[in-house]
Amino acid sequence: MTKPILIVGGGPAGLAAAHALASIGQPSVLVEKTEILGGAPIQSGYAKLVPSGQWAKDAIGGMVKRVAAGNLVDKRLGATVKAFNGEPGGFVAELSDGSRLEAGAAILATGFTHFDSVNKPEWGFGTYPDVVTTTQVEQMISSGKGVRCLSDGRKPKRVAILLCVGSRDRQIGREWCSKICCTVSANLAMEIREELPETHVYIYYMDIRTFGLYESDYYWRSQEEFKVKYIKARIAEVTSDGRQLIVKGEDTLVKRPITIPFDMVVHAIGMDPNVDNLTISAVFGVDLHRHGYIARQDAYGIAGATSRPGVLVAGAAVGPETIDDSIAQANAAALSALAAARGGTLMQAAE
Amino acid sequence: MPIHEKSLIRPENLKTHDNLVIDGINVSGHWSTFIEPRVVTDYNESLEDEIAALPGAENIHRCWQCGSCTNSCTINAIEPRFNPRYWIYLIRVGMESELLRDKDIIWQCVSCNKCTYACPRDVMPEGVMKATAHWLELKGYTPKSPAMHFDEEFTEQVVKRGRIEDTEVLRGFFRRTGQPLLQDWLVEVGWRVAKKLPVLWGIKMALAQVFRPRTRGWRRAQAAIEEYIHEQENERREALGLIGATAANDNADVRKPEAAE
Repeated sequence: MTKPILIVGGGPAGLAAAHALASIGQPSVLVEKTEILGGAPIQSGYAKLVPSGQWAKDAIGGMVKRVAAGNLVDKRLGATVKAFNGEPGGFVAELSDGSRLEAGAAILATGFTHFDSVNKPEWGFGTYPDVVTTTQVEQMISSGKGVRCLSDGRKPKRVAILLCVGSRDRQIGREWCSKICCTVSANLAMEIREELPETHVYIYYMDIRTFGLYESDYYWRSQEEFKVKYIKARIAEVTSDGRQLIVKGEDTLVKRPITIPFDMVVHAIGMDPNVDNLTISAVFGVDLHRHGYIARQDAYGIAGATSRPGVLVAGAAVGPETIDDSIAQANAAALSALAAARGGTLMQAAE
Repeated sequence: MPIHEKSLIRPENLKTHDNLVIDGINVSGHWSTFIEPRVVTDYNESLEDEIAALPGAENIHRCWQCGSCTNSCTINAIEPRFNPRYWIYLIRVGMESELLRDKDIIWQCVSCNKCTYACPRDVMPEGVMKATAHWLELKGYTPKSPAMHFDEEFTEQVVKRGRIEDTEVLRGFFRRTGQPLLQDWLVEVGWRVAKKLPVLWGIKMALAQVFRPRTRGWRRAQAAIEEYIHEQENERREALGLIGATAANDNADVRKPEAAE
């Protein structure tokens, strides 16, 4: 009989992999370091998801319920993997609670860490209470409290969303595009305009990367239906005159310096590699990408392969990723994991 | 300062003093040129709404600044300052004082509509140019040009009578533009015509000045045309909240653009 598949991480990818395996009768063990399943969308309190428009607590909550209801998924909450030894088909994992378990293969669905805006002090986060992150605005919306200035609870009349905070920035070693923030910001801008129609929302961008169908559904729609304004400028600094925030930069399309007052500034924060990746790399013996994500081994053969046979990876653990694609990758990795656990391997792509 | 950088700065922002001493240091002459910064300090958020309320500019908010309009523009090819992409941006963002700097260029659009067909987002830049020109006029930012005075005199006569009287058009034009009727060249023309004057033609012309004939059955056409013109005019005024204000038809009404911030 095939040994259970070890799944590390209880976010969208981990939940999707567990469900996929359960749906074909394959047992798995789901190890989640926190006490809550659902990953970033649940733990960070996201509002409406792209592209479904469903509330995160309903969409991802449904995935959690589906996994929680079945008996083929052994849930280990508040636990981490301390050691992982053996070969495909016969791994042994030791958990932080002291338990040991056998696994035929492992799927790392360990996700990402939100960029900490304190690392860009010139943009005022941590200095001015009305400088917030996209995650905080998501929480304002999902909690039902609405978008308000944290300093005094007033409704902001003018909101600036700064893109690429913690992305595409060599100064802080973030040489990647976090992929989802343009779309998330356009989505948030529309949600702000929906709640506060009198509020003007400006998005400060270097490029707009609402890839694929997000172009018309988010970028165009936010401009055409919600009158969100896009200004091509990378902001130099966010300060305050004591009453309002002052955003300074250069409007590159008119070649003019700008010093514009705002009530609220939102950092569209990027997706960092999971802060635990060095540990994960050491425990599972997998290589990391040079930017710190878990390295993918084989793009065209074994879906989700890492540098170690029998250890697969899916979702934002390999780099900035959408929820949809994380789920798709998890399903693919589940198939690869099952093959590895049964002693077979999916063929590498022919060279 | 390198010469090429100086050319980027508007001349009025370059300050030199013939005789200036600050804290005992002589900063006279062009070796001590000061540059006044011209920072944008706020957005006028009603600018886009105002112009978008005028016919033709309804889609202005769709613009994403690709520059297809400017690239395809007939006028831009011969007048590089004519830049629809740039003006659409100023309007969208609300940089009114910047827009007003170009008020004497914007009307030069010839409505070839190449931009209309080049625009990937259906912004209809030609319509925006037209609307912006109307906006400048309705807000009193631009004086009427001589050509416009002529057009108005001409149109008024056509609307009233379905025809024009050359002499009267000319007289009206001079009156509207504050010019004397007895211009040297006109006197000369008069003399030369008088020398070989067909008397009957002269009498006809003189009678036309008195009786002001109308095209047959013109009254109904006049009423319809006038109604349409008023409707259009009111629609635009209403869009800008100018209802009740009298038509700005004197140069004296021209508002000065606000000083740069």
